Amino acid sequence: MKITIGHLYPDLLNLYGDRGNIQCLMRRCQWRGIDAETIAFELNDPIDFSKLDIVLLGGGSDREQMLVCEKLKEIRADFEAYVEDGGVVIAICGGFQLIGKYYKTEQGMITGLDLVDLYTEQGEGRLISNIILESDLFDMPIVGFENHGGRTCINQCKPLGKVLYGSGNDGQTGYEGVVYKNLIGTYLHGPLLPKNPHIADWLILRALQKKYGSQVELSPLDDSQEKEANSYICRRFLK
Amino acid sequence: MKIRRLIAIWAAKTAGFACKKMGRQGVTWAGKIAMKVYPPILSELAGEVREKTFVVCGTNGKTTTNNMLCAALEAEGKKVICNHTGSNMINGVVAAYVLAAGLNGHVDADYACIEADEASTRYIFPAIMPDYMVLTNLFRDQLDRYGEIDITMNILEEMIRKIPGMQVIVNGDDALSAYLAMDSGNPYIAYGISSPVMENETNEIREGRFCKKCGARLSYRFYHYSQLGDYECGRCGFKRPALDFDAWDVKVGDRLSFRVEDRLIAANYKGFYNVYNILAAYAGVRTAGFNGEHFNEMLKKFNPENGRMEQFRIRGTGIVLNLAKNPAGFNQNITAVMQDQTQKDIIIAINDNAQDGIDISWLWDVDFDRFREESIHSITVSGIRCQDMRLRMKYVDIPCILDEDIERAIRSRISDGVGNLYVLVNYTALFSTRNILKKLEGELK
Repeated sequence: MKITIGHLYPDLLNLYGDRGNIQCLMRRCQWRGIDAETIAFELNDPIDFSKLDIVLLGGGSDREQMLVCEKLKEIRADFEAYVEDGGVVIAICGGFQLIGKYYKTEQGMITGLDLVDLYTEQGEGRLISNIILESDLFDMPIVGFENHGGRTCINQCKPLGKVLYGSGNDGQTGYEGVVYKNLIGTYLHGPLLPKNPHIADWLILRALQKKYGSQVELSPLDDSQEKEANSYICRRFLK
Repeated sequence: MKIRRLIAIWAAKTAGFACKKMGRQGVTWAGKIAMKVYPPILSELAGEVREKTFVVCGTNGKTTTNNMLCAALEAEGKKVICNHTGSNMINGVVAAYVLAAGLNGHVDADYACIEADEASTRYIFPAIMPDYMVLTNLFRDQLDRYGEIDITMNILEEMIRKIPGMQVIVNGDDALSAYLAMDSGNPYIAYGISSPVMENETNEIREGRFCKKCGARLSYRFYHYSQLGDYECGRCGFKRPALDFDAWDVKVGDRLSFRVEDRLIAANYKGFYNVYNILAAYAGVRTAGFNGEHFNEMLKKFNPENGRMEQFRIRGTGIVLNLAKNPAGFNQNITAVMQDQTQKDIIIAINDNAQDGIDISWLWDVDFDRFREESIHSITVSGIRCQDMRLRMKYVDIPCILDEDIERAIRSRISDGVGNLYVLVNYTALFSTRNILKKLEGELK
């Protein structure tokens, strides 16, 4: 079996240790004997979504997102078809904002990919904190770090989780992230996946099942260090 | 002389003295008290400096460059005020002036060399009105505190423009810093290294790949490290400025040497990045009008003892302590460590206190896979976020030992290690680790 990860625009969207998410996905495939390959797409590279099993869209500064958003118009139709067909996507921080309709900032409007029914508007001050979520999808909590000026409204969509510590999408509703088909959008970096191996495996399993059929299962790995790092954050911040 | 000002200085001096007696590192207290008692204290004392005031800004190398510049001016026979310890926010800067003042309430100094935290320049610049600003480099650092690098650049540019006569002494190899200097309209001079020195691995995170002026992708003739190198924008013509102080014949190893102007500069340091620190200090004294004949002499004696590549010897184990607080700095540390090809043990301590930045995701932007070499005997991870650091190593398949107690980790490696130990720590772990090493030096003779 083989997984191909498409990393979108790491030359612009590479804040907050996004490389760690790629490394985590790659290693967790390789440790199981699954071939894994990452293709990094730069701004002017053509993208053939049919060759990709997981797409990672990371975070960048507002200015860099502005540069990317022009490009997104060109790939929008292909990206949407990929998502609607059950293609696996992990969109983090700036990437989370870009999968929505728009991100309104003081400097202007960034038009998004409109893959999911959500939008973002810049709010007063930035929400900067360690963050912990509880999610229906997993038994283990989700831990990470958030740092965003935008407040995201996910309308009727399903959130990734309920905020146990931190601010979440908008600092008010108590929810964080979004899940739509096989797409996860979230503000959590840290990076997200190494301390949340359950999410990494969710992405890998969905990608494999889509490609090789629903009978595919993932062999377990020794995640004791990941779990310790995850529960350290929970112990420290959840009193 | 205003009586409040005198009281402010005396109160601060008393506090500073008390802190020292109690063994506390921070002098910022003294500054805080002085500001409380007499708010205009900084601008008044700064105004008494007889000749020129330097300020040093930039992500990495501030403390070393500033201390070296101070030592270079002292070598020219000048009296200098300097915030040696690297307390670079407003209180630390005030403390430097207040503690240098006499009991009569006046400072007796020819020059001031002040390192300034980028976000604090708003308060520091208007008060001290620098004549020269050394701008070392801009890398991603503490995103939770400073925000994106663009925000730091906006603050710096605003402050540079506010003092139009201030001459900027800029690292021309950094496109971000050079852009700031050029765009501000202030007079500037550039230093840099015009030819490639070392082979550079390609997977490093590089800031500012896109032209700040027009947004097009910059093309590079070569990189020294991170985004430092020889760049040019094919669209708008923005490019590395002509270098007024160009280091050539650069040799880096156990010690380093280079030529600049008609001089050979040599120092007993490791780390390529120190070429930039030395060059910046040199450009500083030369720009201030000295011919620099005492510079080499100063370098020979220069020993800041502040945990920057500081060496210890404990029970036959040679120990190097160094600060590594962001990806660019850490990658340079790794390069310096790997230049030593003998067997070595490594301890990495990562804290997430407010001064470190509470977001430690930057660990994943450091190329730790370069530690996957036979000369690495062991790696121990420590500090508040040792769990994260252990995972970081796991995902590059490098086994490590976890010990959250840094003193215990150091003791263990002294007793079971190979006698060659590197201790790499981030900011708040630096002072405590240094104190531990000092203590062990006395205890384990």
